[in-house]
Amino acid sequence: MFGQEFEKTVDEIVARYPQPRAALLPVLWEIQRHKGWIDGECERWAGERLGVSPAHVHGVVTFYTMYKQRPTGKYHIQLCTTLSCMLRGSDDLLEHLEEKLGIDVGETTPDGKFSLQRAECLGSCGTAPMFQLNDDYHEDLTLEKVDQLLDSLP
Amino acid sequence: MEKILTRNIHKENSPSIEVYEAGGGYQAYRKAIPSMGPDEVTEQVKKSGLRGRGGAGFPCGLKWSFMPKEKNKPHYLLVNADESEPGTFKDRLLMELDPHLVIEGSMLSAYAIRADVCYIYIRGEFVRPAEVMNRAIAEAYAKGYAGRNICGSDWSCELVVHRGAGAYICGEETALMTSLEGDRGYPRNKPPFPAQSGFFGCPTTINNVETLSCVSFIIERGADWFLTIGPDEKNSGPKLYCLSGHVKRPGVYEGPMGLPLMELIHELGGGMLREDRPLKAVIPGGSSVPVLRAEECEVNLDFDSLMKAGSALGSAGIMVMDSSTCMVNALHRIAYFYDHESCGQCTPCRQGTGWMRRILERIENGQGRTEDIDLLKNVADNIEGNTICALGDAAAWPVQSFVKKFRDEFQAHVDAGKCTVLSNA
Amino acid sequence: MPKFTLDGEEIEAPAGTTILQAALSRGKEIPHFCYHPGLSVVGNCRICLVEVEKAPKLVIACWSPVQDGMVVHTQTEKIKEAQNAVMEFLLINHPLDCPICDQAGECKLQDQAVEYGTGVSRYTEPKLALAKAVDIGKHVMLDQERCIQCSRCIRFCDEITGTGELAFFQRGERSQIGVFPGKRLDNPYSGNVVDICPVGALTLKEFRFKTRVWYLENTPSICAGCARGCNVMVATGTQQQLMTTRGQQDDRIKRIVPRVNPEVNGHWMCDEGRLSHQRLDAVGRLEQAASPAGTPVEWEAAVERAAGQIKTAAEAGRLGLVVSPRLTTETMFAWKRLLDALGGAKVGVHRIERGGDDALLILRDKGANSTGARWVFGEGAAADDVLGAAACGEIDTLVVLGDALDPEDSVQVTEEARSRLQHLVYVGSFEDAAAGQATLVLPAAAWAEEDGTLVNFDGRIQRLRRAHLPRGERRPGWRVAADLAADAGIEMPDWSSAADVLDSLAAGVGPYQGLNEEKIGMLGVPAAAAATGA
Repeated sequence: MFGQEFEKTVDEIVARYPQPRAALLPVLWEIQRHKGWIDGECERWAGERLGVSPAHVHGVVTFYTMYKQRPTGKYHIQLCTTLSCMLRGSDDLLEHLEEKLGIDVGETTPDGKFSLQRAECLGSCGTAPMFQLNDDYHEDLTLEKVDQLLDSLP
Repeated sequence: MEKILTRNIHKENSPSIEVYEAGGGYQAYRKAIPSMGPDEVTEQVKKSGLRGRGGAGFPCGLKWSFMPKEKNKPHYLLVNADESEPGTFKDRLLMELDPHLVIEGSMLSAYAIRADVCYIYIRGEFVRPAEVMNRAIAEAYAKGYAGRNICGSDWSCELVVHRGAGAYICGEETALMTSLEGDRGYPRNKPPFPAQSGFFGCPTTINNVETLSCVSFIIERGADWFLTIGPDEKNSGPKLYCLSGHVKRPGVYEGPMGLPLMELIHELGGGMLREDRPLKAVIPGGSSVPVLRAEECEVNLDFDSLMKAGSALGSAGIMVMDSSTCMVNALHRIAYFYDHESCGQCTPCRQGTGWMRRILERIENGQGRTEDIDLLKNVADNIEGNTICALGDAAAWPVQSFVKKFRDEFQAHVDAGKCTVLSNA
Repeated sequence: MPKFTLDGEEIEAPAGTTILQAALSRGKEIPHFCYHPGLSVVGNCRICLVEVEKAPKLVIACWSPVQDGMVVHTQTEKIKEAQNAVMEFLLINHPLDCPICDQAGECKLQDQAVEYGTGVSRYTEPKLALAKAVDIGKHVMLDQERCIQCSRCIRFCDEITGTGELAFFQRGERSQIGVFPGKRLDNPYSGNVVDICPVGALTLKEFRFKTRVWYLENTPSICAGCARGCNVMVATGTQQQLMTTRGQQDDRIKRIVPRVNPEVNGHWMCDEGRLSHQRLDAVGRLEQAASPAGTPVEWEAAVERAAGQIKTAAEAGRLGLVVSPRLTTETMFAWKRLLDALGGAKVGVHRIERGGDDALLILRDKGANSTGARWVFGEGAAADDVLGAAACGEIDTLVVLGDALDPEDSVQVTEEARSRLQHLVYVGSFEDAAAGQATLVLPAAAWAEEDGTLVNFDGRIQRLRRAHLPRGERRPGWRVAADLAADAGIEMPDWSSAADVLDSLAAGVGPYQGLNEEKIGMLGVPAAAAATGA
């Protein structure tokens, strides 16, 4: 299902653990990095490779918030809305993002460029409000900064 | 106080091993491995009074002493870098800007408990910190500080970064183990304790990043030195304080254990965000601990002082709220968090966190009733103490303390059918 | 052995026993959902909370091993509050499905809500709406709303069958049980999850909406599906059900569930056995004697005719008997006795074998009493030999004792054999192939229609119990033999019940020595002596 290169990476990951099943989370990350998201085929593959049932894999995928079960936008925005960020204006930011992008939380823009998700505390309370865009944190946000950032993305 | 934990973070290229060693890093490690036995290391840490900085404040050396002295099974050290307690962002700072401090402390600790593998469980959202850690780990391996025959001794220990994937509950030590085993992050009933039966049934110790970051200093400068910092032997050492909310300069500040809260807010933190909005409330230890009213904030930030004040140091996530804060809204946001993060394994937390959130949602939306306030407290009381892990308690304490200390505001919100604070701010 | 105090009573329990196990084994009730004696302990429902002196907070009884000197209380105010609290939590999202839920009447949630709840809920928010009536397997339906997330079903599929079809998906209160799309709950033991589900979240398709459980009469018995001899409860319809079949009692078998026997089947049974009662209706049932097949005659006339045919053939050495391996030892013994007294017969035991032995309960040998047959008729008595003898013309009268459970498992009398036979006497329950070929039909009781004993593969003697009366002229096979004996002038003991025949077995069949119904009891006994043979 995946290439030789991928299989080799998975072998290396599995070698770091006393039992193959412990490699499930990193293997799922690898799948998501490779494919962008994780579907049923991938879950089945991971289960077979690591010796766990596909239901077990699906249970893991649906437990953790960062594994995607369908494709998201090219730029996936996860806005923190927990207490400290809320105190520093994340609610306004959320409203602004929904308006600017024309989507609700959980949706992707029709051109597939942006998707928006609420997130719980991202460990960046000192630079609130903030969001995570794909792998990067963007901190000390203002409405202007957000506009500047999003408008500049290719 | 001299900068200890944060001594490197402002240096250029601080994550590199060259900068770290130039500043004296790995000296403790290179000295300890050949000259100190594992139990000696543990003794020093025990003497130092180092207590866990992840939230529970458990004495670190004591926790290590639970590990078996003989090796019948592999031993594991798990570094809890799942930092997800709202208001907390100190471990991230250390990992991003001084990864070798974390590594040296972790490996010294691994040595003390005779570990064969040290896994660093980093929350999934910390993509960049994980990259920094991985680069630093490669540097450490290259120098023989990890892997086989460390520093020429016959002790071998692998060091591996393991990324989580978005679940606060995985910061609970037994849930962390279950997650590491490739499963949903379900906490376990205790006993057995991790030191007896942990990761795949083997003796395991789990420690917080900041806790472990103190270890190299204790070994290098001695337990007695560590005890000179802070008010007493139960509250010792340097501490990272995470200041956030309505202050001018939020951020991580290092100080001695027992730093006065007001000093943190008004001096280090630059004071309240707006002069016309005075202090209203502070949560001193991450959202799980009871809230303090402004008049209760003349308190020192250490384990025992805060406990006496009816709260806790927890993860030292100090969240400051000014007079513009609607406490109903704030509590609703906190309740939303616990509902979102409950793993769902046990009845009181699974059902109770959802219930509390819905009551608060209703109150906030203007459909609250007077009896809801007592109901809220009662639901929280029914969760507390009856769950598998402390997340249940963590969900209950904010609700109990907010209702206790701001009941008038809740009542006003119910009576008016809307927030009475925001309209006045 | 640790000694601890439970509500003032001092109890000794083996090291490693939990407070809950110690309490339950003494008949003391501590409420619980997630605990099941056949599965690992998880301690997630939290309703078994008890007070242990010197402990800082309440502990769950299912997880806590008893310690010497421990003092435990289960009835304090604090506990009652905790139980009320947990009960209230369990019910806040639970749908008010009782009127349409199969579990009603045997629902742990209902029962414990009454005992340990307050009777009033303070929950006024909208309940979680989830999927109901989800088809997750060949035999099992799932209602996600009713699930209380005890995880028993997941543990069953992980620990007992090792197939792992079920798991929790999502998190928190949105956690639901489910199967992976494309990998349904289709292992051979799937029905057991319905038994262990404490609520109506998992229901058996074959039982759904059939009847209310309080209309069932339960008879402890033995499954006749294979030589394992799983202990079961056979539930038959009983008292008049409103608006059914014009006031007639419906005593048909509604369901079969396993009965606990640590020596045989533990807590489980296979799906094939669970649904074996469906085989009883696969073809028509015999209620009247007939001669030939299809032409009804009076019982006495049929018996007289049959007795004559059998006696003649036995005296001439031209009698054959084929026995189903699912008949009771009582029936087998009675026929052996009869035929020996008449001068002997060529006897063969039909072998029913399918598939292989699995790692759990299922055996290749589908003869629930193959061992009993061996004890009565000896090794090496094979049905094929008898049919072969018939085909060669060595036998002109063949008696077929048909299968007790499944018409398709009755012996197939080949054309060659049939064509050479003068008389084919069928003694059985079904309008199966052999019955259709018979010159004389004597209806006999099927599996759940008579008392008796069966011997499992392990030599364990267990009691089969009558769950409902046989209809028409059907009667136990041993009684048919006794009736024939009377007409043939053979003296048999005065048997008026299966217990009487058992007395004869105790005297006449080595491994049965010294046994009676009471001694065999509900869980059976291992064979008395090593002797297994003729």
